[in-house]
Amino acid sequence: MSEAIEGDRTFVDKFPEEARIVRAALLSSFLALVIGAVLGIIQTLHRTDVARIIPSTDYYTVLTAHGVFMVISFTIFFLVGLFTWAVTRSLDRPLIDIRITWTWYAIMAVGMTMTGVSILAGFTDAIDMSADVLFTFYAPLQAHPMFYAGLAVFIVGSWIAGADYFRTWLAWKRENPGERIPLQTFMVLMTMAMWYIASSAVAASVLIFLLPWSLGLIDQVNPTLTRTLFWFFGHPVVYFWLMPAYLLWYTVLPKIAGGRLFSDPLARVVFVLFLLLSTPVGIHHQYLDPGIAEGFKFISMTNTMFLLLPSLLTAFTVVASVEYGARQRGGTGLLGWLTDLPWRKPEFTGMMLAGLMFAAGGFSGMVNAGMNINYMIHNTIWVPGHFHLTVGTAVALTFMAATYWIWPQISNKPIYSRAVGLFQVVLWFIGMALMSNAMHAQGIMGVPRRTAEPEYSGFEYATMFGGYEELNIQIAIGGTLLFVSTILFIGNLVLTMGNPKVSGLAETLPPALSGPDDAPRVLDNLRLWVAIAVTLVVLAYALPLAAIINRGGLLGPGVGTYPVWLAPGLDALANAATPPLAGDAWASLVEVVR
Amino acid sequence: MGRNETAHAPADDVSGDTEEFDPIGTLTLIGIYFTILVLSWVYIYYIEFLGRDLVVVG
Amino acid sequence: MHIHAYEKLWLAASVLLILLLLGSVTYGAVGPGVAMVSDSEQPVDATALDEDERFSEPRVEQVGENEYAAYVVAFQFGFQPDPIVIPEDSTVTFYVTSRDVIHGFEVAGTNANTMVVPGEVSEITVETDEPTEYGLICNEYCGAGHHVMEGKVNVVSQAEYENQTSGGDGE
Repeated sequence: MSEAIEGDRTFVDKFPEEARIVRAALLSSFLALVIGAVLGIIQTLHRTDVARIIPSTDYYTVLTAHGVFMVISFTIFFLVGLFTWAVTRSLDRPLIDIRITWTWYAIMAVGMTMTGVSILAGFTDAIDMSADVLFTFYAPLQAHPMFYAGLAVFIVGSWIAGADYFRTWLAWKRENPGERIPLQTFMVLMTMAMWYIASSAVAASVLIFLLPWSLGLIDQVNPTLTRTLFWFFGHPVVYFWLMPAYLLWYTVLPKIAGGRLFSDPLARVVFVLFLLLSTPVGIHHQYLDPGIAEGFKFISMTNTMFLLLPSLLTAFTVVASVEYGARQRGGTGLLGWLTDLPWRKPEFTGMMLAGLMFAAGGFSGMVNAGMNINYMIHNTIWVPGHFHLTVGTAVALTFMAATYWIWPQISNKPIYSRAVGLFQVVLWFIGMALMSNAMHAQGIMGVPRRTAEPEYSGFEYATMFGGYEELNIQIAIGGTLLFVSTILFIGNLVLTMGNPKVSGLAETLPPALSGPDDAPRVLDNLRLWVAIAVTLVVLAYALPLAAIINRGGLLGPGVGTYPVWLAPGLDALANAATPPLAGDAWASLVEVVR
Repeated sequence: MGRNETAHAPADDVSGDTEEFDPIGTLTLIGIYFTILVLSWVYIYYIEFLGRDLVVVG
Repeated sequence: MHIHAYEKLWLAASVLLILLLLGSVTYGAVGPGVAMVSDSEQPVDATALDEDERFSEPRVEQVGENEYAAYVVAFQFGFQPDPIVIPEDSTVTFYVTSRDVIHGFEVAGTNANTMVVPGEVSEITVETDEPTEYGLICNEYCGAGHHVMEGKVNVVSQAEYENQTSGGDGE
């Protein structure tokens, strides 16, 4: 076989054009990560009242930027980079037309820049522009039109990226009739199919309602409708962040552990389940919304609970693959094999710690999914506590860890310091363990999320698992460690980029223990799965959406417009307030707002 | 490096050892996880949630 | 398709876990009777709450023997009435709406928690116990002054409640 010779060539040796775009996408992703981390530390220290370097009214600009940069820019740029690598590598052929590839990259970059600028402009009064509407941009709070336009442009770019992967696969299929879709490509195509279904709703919400409304073309929108369309997208986007991490856990982690994937067919089943179940569940973010019948909420919960299945299956398959690696390395005993794993490799330890955090996040996710228990934790800081375990660690830490493995493959440059890398991933784990644990505990006390000053004048929180202040200290220390960890990651990568190119870095990925031949052919029938997925979405959403429109009208019952981006709007907002509330606090707020 | 996960990977890579590997360590770990999940859920739902003030009953 | 026996075992355990979760939530609904905020109330015009019979004058009123209704308006950046005074050992239904943007209505540390959406009325019924004072906070970002939006829910003795309602004009 040509295996040995092929094995000597890295990805960049074989596909220099594709490697360049993978690097560009990853660097865009990490730029967002750095900005997000700076905003993150400002936020952590502000919220916990350790250091308040900005006025509290600017906290929401920071929060909006942190959210959008981290979960749209950081995650999705990494995704397109990784998927470009995965498709090219597993099909062993270049993309159809590299100009198209650069086109979608440019469109996404332009879109994100538009949105980013509209948010960051909120820090200065010199420009009449702001988008302090947070990542969820609930109407009738209204951002500057460029915020919505940028999001739409970004999403269109991601659609073209998806088309790029599908067309490359079709070309491969013509060249390789009758062959099974390689696993990584299968994962990419399933994820992108899910993304098309999910993002269609938020694109419709932005293009039909929010953008025309922000431009003054329509007077008002239906807050429940745009909210529901957001969550139609807002839950599956969680899996859009997670699927690249799953791809790495299934296809790269076993190799690093010295083994191979336990079961290729089950990996395919898991991705099919995600395509089918990720979308018809968004209403579980609206358990406490008025105007939506309890029955719809219950259906959404049932779907959500079954969405646990693919993640629980993944836990088994991935751990079994790692155990196989440990046994190959001489590991013995019921649990003794755990000591025979390559814990000194940052890519391994990082991904394993990410997986461990995801297991913890699985528990708080179950609580979030439970319909009536939502009364206890809805919109408390428990929720960000949860998603900092999932997207903030399972995804983010896996991405960083994988970078230590993949960057040499796409650049022929060895990592500057693998020791610092190991320190960095462990630091992230410790920081997040402190921060997230305290956030969960505060959430049960009723401390709200999304607020600059969670301490109130009229009452104090009850004590639980340590007092409020003590938990604040945990959050502040945890957040600081996370910031330091991010800086170490970026610093290490920048120094890596300065390293000279070397040869001999090539890594191969071994086939699964139970290979694709064990997987029923029907698993590769994309049309069938997409058709079922669309049917489930229609079943889950047709009636709720019809009911919402029927109740409030397409443009809502009488509802005002509250722009966050016009100075006169802020004045009107300030004047609209009535006297009976918090005299001093209000006066000082109006001062600051003006 | 690209083809080795497609169907025509070398036969000796995929056959035979499938049946020999029993991930007993994984089963143990995941059994522990399962126990933790069930106990935590019972605590948080039945004790923490249902034991709080102002339960919404209508 | 080949699936290892252990993995089949885990699959079965996972399904059991899911059934436990769904079963618990169903038990909560049927046993202790936890009900969800729902579409029970008709939409209102958020820009014309002044003309609304229930919300032009946010208030608490007695609607039956030991049953009270609290009509609450959330706005940038506060709640009316403030404080919301309700009697002990009674059944209180909160009707909460917003006259501007989306807010939250969370009685801190309790299960009384709902979204407040302009144009919709959130209806939640709770049973009060002994006299106590709760913090009321907005838990959805609602604008630059979100963090100053707070109120109180005071559960008072029957005597004190009656004293208060007969004393003034009910304000």
